Amino acid sequence: MTSNDFGIFPPFDDGDCESILQALFLFIDNEISDLSQAQALQLHLQQCPPCQVEMEHESRVINQLKSLLASSCCESAPEDLNRRIAAQTALLAAQMSNPTQVITEYRRTETTINGETLIEIQTTHEIRRDFPLS
Amino acid sequence: MASKKLEKSENLDQPANSGNSADGALEVRSRAGALATESLSARTARFERDAMQYTNQLYAAALRYTKNPHDAQDLVQDTYAKAFTSFHQFEPGTNLKAWLYRILTTTFINTYRKDQRRPQISDGELEDWQIHAAASHTSNEGKSAEDEVLENLPDGDVKRALHEIPEEFRLAVFYADVEGYAYKEIAEILGIPAGTVMSRLHRGRKLLRELLMDYAKDRGFLKNAEGKE
Repeated sequence: MTSNDFGIFPPFDDGDCESILQALFLFIDNEISDLSQAQALQLHLQQCPPCQVEMEHESRVINQLKSLLASSCCESAPEDLNRRIAAQTALLAAQMSNPTQVITEYRRTETTINGETLIEIQTTHEIRRDFPLS
Repeated sequence: MASKKLEKSENLDQPANSGNSADGALEVRSRAGALATESLSARTARFERDAMQYTNQLYAAALRYTKNPHDAQDLVQDTYAKAFTSFHQFEPGTNLKAWLYRILTTTFINTYRKDQRRPQISDGELEDWQIHAAASHTSNEGKSAEDEVLENLPDGDVKRALHEIPEEFRLAVFYADVEGYAYKEIAEILGIPAGTVMSRLHRGRKLLRELLMDYAKDRGFLKNAEGKE
């Protein structure tokens, strides 16, 4: 991603620490798809030790957050929930395979104009099922 | 009598769903308009094989939406019901887990949030990231204090902080930092523009980091209160 992809923020000025710092998280998230922008950012980091330090810190913190979050947001679905879903799927499948109502409509229209008869036959079927969920 | 007879029969004789065969064969029209036929039992088997493996991840995600196990279980169950009845719309070869997350999101919005009229984040949030982005070099003391806090974080702090930040930010952080999705994928899951994902994620992480520092300070972990940037 780049500023250009979203049109939200202007392309950063590679001589300006402020705009580089604002784009750091995009770089860390691998969301700067514009190669020339990514290269400009890297070049700035090489030449600007304070920004390089900032980059290393941000990257370290985000990675640390990721691993902390990953290890604390990994609850397993209770067995009962898995059973409920399996039963629900079987029930829905059974309902879907058995249409509860088939309504057939038959319409015949006969039109005679100047001795010429046009017969139109229209048949429609409507299948109505009871779904527990809409 | 009639000199000419024209018989015109609309080709509606075939029900769109001839669900009366032994197997309950269903004809479904894919988005491309091609007629794809898959028997219901085949579809059911495919659903059980492909979709059921994600119940743990869906449950963990649902907990981030509802913040309590009871509602999270109901939300996951409803999500699977909707996913099964619309499984013919899923395009094989695309990301099934992301598709399920998208249904999770819409189910949550439609059923669990219907009555709670909660203030939405203002449109100004797009500019928000600029205000909150670190726009200047921060002190080295602040950096090492944060590193130290994160290294020594007690169990439960991160989850507590994540549940304390507003839902919009929490979900962006979850999908980016737990699930590892790109902004574009998160945008599809949450039904918001990618630019909004960017600002919510950035803001969410910042809030999270501030909370974690606050917890540490409350605990007296940081002797130097100026440790924060």
